[in-house]
Amino acid sequence: MRILHFFIALFVFFKAEFSFSQKKEKDTIQRLEEVVIIQAIDFEKYDYHSGLSEKEIEELTPVDVGELLQKIPGTTLKSYGSLGGLKTVSMRSMGATHTTIVGDGFSIQNMQTGQVNLGQIDVENIVGVVSSVGRRSQLMLPVSAQVSGSNFLLKTFENTFSSDTLQIRTTLKVGSFGQKMGYLAGKYCPKNWMISLSGTRKISQGNYPYLFLNGNQYLKGIRINNDYEDYAIRSTVGFRWKNKVSMRLGYKQSKINQALPGAVILYNNTQDERMKTEDRKLFMDVFIHKNRWATRLYTNGNFNVLNYTDPTFLNNSGGIDVTYTNRFWTAGVTLSWRNDQWELHGGFEEVWSSVRAVGSVIGEPERLHTYGLIGGKYMFLSGSNFFLDLSTQYVNEENKTGLEGQDRWRINPFLGYRSSVSGQWRWKHEIWYRNSFRMPTFNELYYNNIGNTLLLPEDAHQFNYSLRFMPIRKKNWHINFKNNIYHNRVKNKIVAVPTKNLFIWSMQNVGKVAVYGYETILSAHLRMSHQWKIEMSVNYSYQRTVDITKKGSPTYKHQVAYVPVHTMNMDASLYYQRFGLRLSNYGISDRYSLNENVLQNRVEGFLISDVIFFYTLPIKKHVLRLQAAVKNILDVPYAYIRSFVMPGRNYLISLSYAFN
Amino acid sequence: MRLIKYLLLVVVLLVSCKKKEPKPENTPVVLKNGMLVLCEGLFQQNNSTVSWVDFSSGDIDNQFFQTKAGRMLGDTGNDIQRYGGKIYIIVNVSSTIEVLNASTFEPIEQISMIENNIAKQPRYIVFKNGKGYITCYDGYVDVLDTASLTITNRIKVGENPEGLTIVNHTLYVANSGGLSFPDVDSTLSVVDLVTETETMKITIGKNPGQVIADNQGDVYVITRGDYSTIPTAITRVSSQTNTVLEYLNINASEIEKKGDQFLIANYDFNTQTSNVSLFDPQTESVLNSSFIDNSGITTLYGITYNPINDKIYISDAMEFTNTGYIREYSSSGTYIQSYHVGLNPNNIVFYD
Repeated sequence: MRILHFFIALFVFFKAEFSFSQKKEKDTIQRLEEVVIIQAIDFEKYDYHSGLSEKEIEELTPVDVGELLQKIPGTTLKSYGSLGGLKTVSMRSMGATHTTIVGDGFSIQNMQTGQVNLGQIDVENIVGVVSSVGRRSQLMLPVSAQVSGSNFLLKTFENTFSSDTLQIRTTLKVGSFGQKMGYLAGKYCPKNWMISLSGTRKISQGNYPYLFLNGNQYLKGIRINNDYEDYAIRSTVGFRWKNKVSMRLGYKQSKINQALPGAVILYNNTQDERMKTEDRKLFMDVFIHKNRWATRLYTNGNFNVLNYTDPTFLNNSGGIDVTYTNRFWTAGVTLSWRNDQWELHGGFEEVWSSVRAVGSVIGEPERLHTYGLIGGKYMFLSGSNFFLDLSTQYVNEENKTGLEGQDRWRINPFLGYRSSVSGQWRWKHEIWYRNSFRMPTFNELYYNNIGNTLLLPEDAHQFNYSLRFMPIRKKNWHINFKNNIYHNRVKNKIVAVPTKNLFIWSMQNVGKVAVYGYETILSAHLRMSHQWKIEMSVNYSYQRTVDITKKGSPTYKHQVAYVPVHTMNMDASLYYQRFGLRLSNYGISDRYSLNENVLQNRVEGFLISDVIFFYTLPIKKHVLRLQAAVKNILDVPYAYIRSFVMPGRNYLISLSYAFN
Repeated sequence: MRLIKYLLLVVVLLVSCKKKEPKPENTPVVLKNGMLVLCEGLFQQNNSTVSWVDFSSGDIDNQFFQTKAGRMLGDTGNDIQRYGGKIYIIVNVSSTIEVLNASTFEPIEQISMIENNIAKQPRYIVFKNGKGYITCYDGYVDVLDTASLTITNRIKVGENPEGLTIVNHTLYVANSGGLSFPDVDSTLSVVDLVTETETMKITIGKNPGQVIADNQGDVYVITRGDYSTIPTAITRVSSQTNTVLEYLNINASEIEKKGDQFLIANYDFNTQTSNVSLFDPQTESVLNSSFIDNSGITTLYGITYNPINDKIYISDAMEFTNTGYIREYSSSGTYIQSYHVGLNPNNIVFYD
């Protein structure tokens, strides 16, 4: 089956190559340059590590953000199930807690776990995704995101100004396992104003069949206790004046009620855990641009309540019923000044966060995290430039009901050199080094018996060299290459080890990890005629991520758990008039469920193929679009995490309407 | 475009060059002169295994259950015992009891320990007069008829019962309450095996775990404290009066009988050090506080004495996340050799 899978992928790409050779015309837009522009302001397109445009996102028909981010090279997705399942992502093996998710210029955070559950971020309204590793400072990014190891930036429909007075978007999706989704959004932009309102509703039974390899045979099963239901409403009001001042004020509220199926446990199918999440976000920013100066003032707050229940847990309370309330508030300012040769920038941000629990022991921790950033870029006449940033962070920890973690202070540099574009192939080089760290999460510091208040932050060093070139630039077709070679080191890695008994594992700074990586992105575009067009992209990531904690240990220089050495995406879209067909392939090599690379820990790699058919009917300013997706078309049994099975072949039909 | 071809070719090659599971060689038909090692694996990984170690050839099959049964054992194998002509494996999270032929290790039956859609989570098993008594985390001891392989009764005891032992017609069950940590249980249930009912509870100390009886009929219970200010200890209970005789200030994670004496093993999670002492239950005194050279042990997780060859076997869990070893020692505690087995080896059954 695996071979067949590859043949399909090969066929599509070789077919595409053949077609290219028939048509050699002039230049066109390169894919990397048409990726998302989060805001029109100060977003240097060429800084992007990689991204997905609105068109690509629409074609992929994702059910969650995790499906999008895994298309970006260097990412490692951990998915514990389909719709609603916990999903986290890390970039270049540094760990999910080194990665910041930014939505429309505001950080999405959870201080308790340190990582964002991608399964709980709405995907229907996302019109752009960008990954940035080692990017230079940007005015529209919060300072906390600028100094983190890597970022994923999400852009939504509702929070951006439009030149059209009225825009409407609506989508209805129906899919396998009882999936039903509805999305309705409207944006009204009279003169200088922008008012948007949107809502999303999703329901799924989640009872998908699966195959689970049990010894010499596959066990057939149906996922139970996997239902999911949510709603979200959002509203934003914005104002802008002569491209000099703009401001936004927005609110979002969502509620999720979901079952947690947990791992497939052989011979025991009794899961009955549930989780309810209520989330409220308020955000505001003001952007001012005058002559050589630009500044952004921003603030956002988040109130999140998570309730977890397990009625059959065999304790003396007759089950588990615990509620965690997370709060955080951010306020900051970014500033930049530039002339022909120099660009200076800086920023300051305060993040206050806390967690409270009922039914569990985590203390009453609060954290005040202060960020400062100053940096500059010198631009040579040739177009190349040198850049240097220095960031400082001070973290103040408090716990009102117990031991508290120590305050931390750090200064971290980020520097590099970027060449100008040269030659017929538009060669461009970049080399940079970034030092960053991440604080232990509230869970790691304070959670019941697991927490350890003596934990040190995890330190990360990243070295990167990039080479980009465009060997073919014709009018109707082009090929674009981007290559990265990198080396990362993470020390004081926080890992759980049994410190009391086998059931009670607590957090320790015992890990050191070295990462040797390579990424390549190839994109091509071919317009054969006014009616026919092909677009394709391939990316491949090599990540040798090894444990270098202790010489002589059974895991010394073994590949770290759940990091695949090889990751690959191969996508191709064929367009004919109003019809389109996309083949999307995602594959990862074998991984290990534990750091010891022995056969019994091996988790099989997989290659998943989706086929999406779409038809677009534009009528003046109205666009009607019908999509039919067959996901995992070859019905491959697979899992990102051992025992957390993913669905086999499934279907998703989408009908969307857009005005303007 | 040639580059694309090469890239795809490389990927195809990489994915197709997969390591294959080595097929075990010389799988024994009849088990003799060796040991079955239960390796519990890790929670939610379905990776419990049974290793067969052949003492004669030195061959080790670390997928022995799968080799014989054609399927996996399940999640968190917790106890393995031989009784009569059968082997019983208690699989905690999968909530099953695997019954196999003791001579050939061919599977006989898998008993599901799920009732009313609630997993009973069995932990340990002991036997008497054709019946198996199984502690279940839902607060019961299940009675198994070893002839019909059916559960015939459920005896209500305390919270999250763990270890158990039988003295004459009385069953002693340690009620750990471990799933309510830090609000743990502190009692030992006394069960009359004739009426199959709990007759009393004895308060013995926080978080009781293993229970073992000496040749004089005294019952020793390891209390595991709170893993912090209250350390592990041993409580001695009289089976005559069902009262606590004394609290022994000895750190212990497991006790194993060696003739008339006890081997007391302890792994200190804080210092990550292992220790085995020799204890005389007649004089209630430690004869040798460092009976075994612990320099080769990373994470002591179990101790078993083999009366057939008069040797001691230490289960080394290798920090719990690496495949483990069985360390073999002479009767006097001198290291002999190691056997590389599965993840978190905890219990052993020997064959002559």
